[in-house]
Amino acid sequence: MRAVRRFFGRLAAWAGTESNEERLRAEIEGHIALQTADNVRAGLSPAEAKRQAVLKFGPVEATKEDCRDARGIAFIDNLSRDVRYALRRLRSAPAFTLTTVLTLALGIGATTAIFTLVHAVILKSLPVAKPGDLYRLGRESRCCIYGGYDQDKEFSIVSDDLYEYLRDNTKGFAELAAFQAGSGFGLGVQRAGVVEPLQLCLGKFVSGNYFAMFGIGAFAGRTLSPNDDRPGATPVAMMSYRLWHEKYGAAPSVIGGVFNLKGSPFTVIGITPPGFFGDTLAASPPDFYLPLSTEPLLQGESSLLRAPDGAFLDLIGRIRPGAQVESIQAQMRLELKQWLLAHWGEMEAGARADLPRQTLFLSHGGAGITSMREQYERWLQILMAASGFVLLIVCANVANLMLVRGVERRQQTSLSIALGARASRMVRQALTESVLLSLAGGVTGVAVAFAGTRLILHYTFSTMPGFGDVPISASPSMPVLLFALAVSLLAGLAFGIAPAWMAVKADPIEALRGVNRSTNRSGTGSRRALVIFQAALSLALLSVSGLLTLALRHLENQNFGFEQNGRTIVNIGPKLAGYQTEKLDLLYTGVHDALSAIPGVSSVALCFYSPLSGLNWAHHVFVAGRPAPAPGQSTSSGFDRVTGGYFETIGNPIVEGRSISERDTANSPHVAVVNQAFVRKFFPHEDPIGKYFGHSDIGASHLYEIVGVAKDAIYVMGDPGQPPGSFFFVPEAQYDMFPKADDTQEDLRTHFLSDIVIAMKSGARLSLSEVRRALASVDPNLPVMAMGSLHEQVEGQFSQQQLIARLTSFFGILSLVLASIGLYGVTAFNAGRRINEIGVRMALGADRPHLIALILRGAFGLIAVGLLIGLPLSLAFGRLLGHQLYGMNPYNPVLLLTAIAALGLSALIAALIPAFRASAISPLQALRTE
Amino acid sequence: MREKTDVRQGTLALMVLKTLEVLGPLHGYGIARRIEQISGDLLTLNQGTLYPVLLKLEQEGAIASEWGASENNRKARFYRLTRTGHRQLQAETQDWAQTAAIIDRFFAVKAGDLK
Repeated sequence: MRAVRRFFGRLAAWAGTESNEERLRAEIEGHIALQTADNVRAGLSPAEAKRQAVLKFGPVEATKEDCRDARGIAFIDNLSRDVRYALRRLRSAPAFTLTTVLTLALGIGATTAIFTLVHAVILKSLPVAKPGDLYRLGRESRCCIYGGYDQDKEFSIVSDDLYEYLRDNTKGFAELAAFQAGSGFGLGVQRAGVVEPLQLCLGKFVSGNYFAMFGIGAFAGRTLSPNDDRPGATPVAMMSYRLWHEKYGAAPSVIGGVFNLKGSPFTVIGITPPGFFGDTLAASPPDFYLPLSTEPLLQGESSLLRAPDGAFLDLIGRIRPGAQVESIQAQMRLELKQWLLAHWGEMEAGARADLPRQTLFLSHGGAGITSMREQYERWLQILMAASGFVLLIVCANVANLMLVRGVERRQQTSLSIALGARASRMVRQALTESVLLSLAGGVTGVAVAFAGTRLILHYTFSTMPGFGDVPISASPSMPVLLFALAVSLLAGLAFGIAPAWMAVKADPIEALRGVNRSTNRSGTGSRRALVIFQAALSLALLSVSGLLTLALRHLENQNFGFEQNGRTIVNIGPKLAGYQTEKLDLLYTGVHDALSAIPGVSSVALCFYSPLSGLNWAHHVFVAGRPAPAPGQSTSSGFDRVTGGYFETIGNPIVEGRSISERDTANSPHVAVVNQAFVRKFFPHEDPIGKYFGHSDIGASHLYEIVGVAKDAIYVMGDPGQPPGSFFFVPEAQYDMFPKADDTQEDLRTHFLSDIVIAMKSGARLSLSEVRRALASVDPNLPVMAMGSLHEQVEGQFSQQQLIARLTSFFGILSLVLASIGLYGVTAFNAGRRINEIGVRMALGADRPHLIALILRGAFGLIAVGLLIGLPLSLAFGRLLGHQLYGMNPYNPVLLLTAIAALGLSALIAALIPAFRASAISPLQALRTE
Repeated sequence: MREKTDVRQGTLALMVLKTLEVLGPLHGYGIARRIEQISGDLLTLNQGTLYPVLLKLEQEGAIASEWGASENNRKARFYRLTRTGHRQLQAETQDWAQTAAIIDRFFAVKAGDLK
């Protein structure tokens, strides 16, 4: 109670600070006057009476300070005083302030930029209602289609049949929604009744309760409902706010309007809210949300909805309040087993054998499907650490500057203490100054971070024109701002502690003696320690960035098995244009002929997907005449479908037999070309030519005759150094029948070739407008999604590594520059202080090289110690990088020596300047200097 | 030579309250003098240390102050005990007496008494 009363008393007192100060002054004055009067009455002389009175009263300023502490909300009161004082001091040293703030801005900005990404990719929840109540199926995200009744490790992706079974039987979920795994599928979109070019958009199939499960309402119109998701319901769709806004000018007529998606009319019933980006943080969020029931309509022959073993759905559910996740999970495992047993009749032998092992897991779903987190987490950790080290080096540098200032300020501090200032107050003043500096650095840093994040986002996620951007905002959000604030405060304390400590140690007697005569060398030790620390960290950062850059080179320069030069890849979408399979042959022939007619083109071929395009297709292979493989035996092999002349066009040499040519038609025997890895895997001791094999079903083991073996080429990025996986290629013109209709359906999908490979004659250049014109002459409605050189496509596989290597190199170089500046500062300062000694040495006959060596020795002593600490640190970091080096040895002596040389060279430059300057002084002048 | 004792903050506050109760409204100098007189110069008191204590008591509402004129017509700030202050003084006097009594008893006990 008393404390509360006192607090309000303090508040009131603080409001009237100035009058209080006046009152205190008057009161003390009165007190001393009364005492003086009494002393005079007692017979002392007036002067002596006054002296005695003051002595009796004690230290006046300290008393005032105690009163201020007792009176005000001392903290705020002193703070505003200290801030004003610090601002005054900083204004009087603009060069120092500017340098410090800019250095800090770089450090804080780099850290904050990386944190923005960490926050968006790793920490943030989806912008939906109560994300904490959401749980998803699966611990790892699996993309995008999975066939069969057995899944490795866990059942994480399900078919529509299994989804409905789980939804209807699991009571612990208030809502359990399903949606297409992956980032969505391409859709050709045209507004009905309007003549406009086909627009390419991303669509995503979702269950009717998708929006209800997320607790998301429509921005305009209404959301999808389970009624829209019934078979036979009118096809409807929800449009993203982005598309509505950017393409249709937020026109109200869009809601209720009819759009042709892949040629089928859909009514747009609503617009999603602006911040909503679906269930997955991905490079491009979907623009259309479509009911699952429309999947057969849009996917036609390759529809998966009715296939009980065609898993293509991810699940997220909102649990009922109070429900136990563990018991829901246990129940769902049981349901999974029951469902699998119900499909026993359709299962392969392998799947039957695997059934007891099938299980599932629920994990937190508040962040949605976290494929991006899985992909980037490790990199972001590395970047966060690197930027953190840069910030540490920045702090060390600023601390160094502050220490110099502290030395210059010693006399003033001593004087203040002699006049009765308390040490705690001096510390507070010093800390206020450093925290102010770091806050200014933080504010500037947020701007740096904004620009940096935009740059990083631009490099990392280049989206296709017309698609939405990655839903990560570069503009700082509240958590990011708080992070920057916290980092700034911490940095301020980190580099402010040393000067504050010096303030405490200031001796009042120095003020009287004249501090310049003092031989005290306080502060030098800590400054040296800072330079050593900087050198060590800088070496570690340099070697890490070097390792990452080498790993990138290693990736880029591996033998890919195909020609990158003079090859152009054009990405088309025959499926988007609504092509039926029987018209495909005609389209491909037309495309081939039109493009071949362009001058300079040497050959043209099409394929289901080109190497390193990011796509991957694999099948279980069955060799004719062999028994069913044992459970657990790997039989999978990569698969691609190509037109005649493909191998010659992409430059993949045939090592045995022949390649696929125009003579492999629908009516000729069905053939396949396999790669060397395929031979090693399936025909280790036999000549493969003339052997038969098939895929997907043991009953289809006679599909293809092997007619050729191609050199191993890398289609999918694996670990470099590991040989590429097995692969087989079949001709586009040949259609196969499988015992099961599902397999035939799925095989049909692969006839929609998406990549055209164009090889140029040497020296010829391909103009993209010519390609567009040629393709338009075949079919003006054929969507052309992307065009670029094969080299770019390969490089694109490493854009992430490239960015990381560039960023860490930037951090490494920044740290090197900062460490050199730090060393320069210390060397210059020490040289300045030894100017007398230098004068004496010169007078005694020391020559200039000798003097320079003297100063350099001091500087290199520091660097040597820094290296000694930095070397093990670099090795440790290299080990930590581990897998991020793609099997490269982290102990690279050449690299380490290079890093040491770089550090040594910049240290030499940093130390030579002050050394030259000091040795250039004349002995007389040096001796005279005080 | 007698050793002089330092004053603890809480004790000083109690002395101030008692002084004001006995003497009525008084200025800072007067309070300081009174404390010195009563303690018979047993206390060294930097008179300045009184002022933070006065401020604290005033914030707690135990005393109130206003400007007035001193005996030789100087402007001085006079402190007086408030009702809260009276209550506080009573409570603390009791506490003090109790504590003192307990400590006294402890010192009075001789080693032999415990057997």
